[in-house]
Amino acid sequence: MSGSDAQPLLTLRDVEAGYGGQRVLRGVGFDVPAGQVVTLIGPNGHGKTTLLYCISGLVRPTRGEIRLDGQSIVGLPVDRIVERGIVHIPQGDMIFPDMSVLDNLLMGAYLDAAAATREERLHRVLSLLPRLAERRAQTASTLSGGERRMLAIGRGLMAGGRILLIDEPSLGLAPIVIDQIYQVIADLKAEGRTILLVEENASRVVELADRVHLLDNGEIVWEGPAAELAENDELLETYLGG
Amino acid sequence: MDTAIQIVVSGLTLGAMYAVSTIALSLVWGSLRMLNMAQGALLTAGGYAAYTAVVTLALPVWIGLPLAILVGAVIGALMYLLVVRYMLGRPGFETNVIIGTVGIALILENLVLRLYGAYPLQQPIGLPDGFQVGATWVPWQNVLILVVSILLMVVMSAFLERTRAGRAIRATAQHQRGAMLMGVPVGRVYIQVLMIGGALAAISGIMLSTITTLAPTMGYDPMLKAFIICVIAGLGNINGALFAAFALGLFEAAVQYFLGVRFGFPALLLLVIAALIWRPYGVFGRRKQARL
Repeated sequence: MSGSDAQPLLTLRDVEAGYGGQRVLRGVGFDVPAGQVVTLIGPNGHGKTTLLYCISGLVRPTRGEIRLDGQSIVGLPVDRIVERGIVHIPQGDMIFPDMSVLDNLLMGAYLDAAAATREERLHRVLSLLPRLAERRAQTASTLSGGERRMLAIGRGLMAGGRILLIDEPSLGLAPIVIDQIYQVIADLKAEGRTILLVEENASRVVELADRVHLLDNGEIVWEGPAAELAENDELLETYLGG
Repeated sequence: MDTAIQIVVSGLTLGAMYAVSTIALSLVWGSLRMLNMAQGALLTAGGYAAYTAVVTLALPVWIGLPLAILVGAVIGALMYLLVVRYMLGRPGFETNVIIGTVGIALILENLVLRLYGAYPLQQPIGLPDGFQVGATWVPWQNVLILVVSILLMVVMSAFLERTRAGRAIRATAQHQRGAMLMGVPVGRVYIQVLMIGGALAAISGIMLSTITTLAPTMGYDPMLKAFIICVIAGLGNINGALFAAFALGLFEAAVQYFLGVRFGFPALLLLVIAALIWRPYGVFGRRKQARL
């Protein structure tokens, strides 16, 4: 990945956003250095998804700065932001229900840069997510919840990109499927990919993350290395119910 | 036997023309949730544009026809840029855009009326001659319309299924935000869809004008038929619409033959009523609307 070591790949400063007068984010700021897994945890309904929407451009922040590799991306249309290398794997998957698994994956490589090496990417994604290879001709809406999540992740990986935003990959899945999905994320980390991971459940992310940020009521209330969070019983209990 | 041949020939010709304009309507609905009430006016514009290119400008047909189709596409693009764009994503879009496109239809229709007058004109384009099947005379023009329509449908379906741009149109129709996150510029997709819709309407209008005449209101009837087909097949369902277009073309031709021409349209309306009672989501429709 390009970008100097001195400068984080993604920086957020004082980001505020809301829906119709309701403020959801109240000045959020942190960095995502290249090659690291940074996680954002916190109770539901406290702005985690909104923050990812602000980064990928689906929601426009009312204030603050978001920079990718030093360049501001606030106010750019979503497709331009994606073009610069931000890949957002959203909550709820947003897969294309009436398309085949294969067509969904090919949509991931829609942009020119990814399309040029499409076959190679497809091969890699299918070997990382063998379940999708078995189901490639199936209509996406007939997949199970875990398979849909795999498809959403696989589709995001088809895009390549410079940073992956992954929103609650474990939401609503059985523990064994969550294990599989976290294995995939661990593989991606081992490949050296930059990941911003959002989760409600802290226990899963602690072993994986380099840094953890705790978002509560639209503000970062704690941040530090993942190991520190694991030791901080008081914090875990207050915010995450143990 | 001769009766059957006659019904099949005129039914297939009708069905072919209905199918092309139904695809246009269905594609636009499926992608934007936009009921294009200017579809009929686009049809008319295509027919008159072909006439102007070939008669007034005396261009050869092989230049005139593509030019007329282009006119349809350009009107489609202008509709997006000047009107639809400002309504999209706002509350009440589905209703607003119906009123908006009715307005566009009125403007186009009156422009045609102003420029060409109210009297029907003869469309000079078309194949002469025909051939005999039993006692039935089959004009080559009807065969051409059928062939062109089938080709168009094959090309459209290959485009939507197999190309990157086609996949992007389907993706946008199925999940707009999901498509945006894949880097699809949805505004450009919407322009493309309206241009394709305009071009298909123009082709449909040119074909229609070659077997009837040009008149400022010529687009209404096929637009109405396209709506009927969409109601019966399920709006946004392209394959169902194709099947329904040909089935209804044959049905209308049969009713016209056995009961008289004036009963063709009421018979179609009866089918609509039946569909609305028993299959309100369309014969091929699902409760959750099938998309492209």
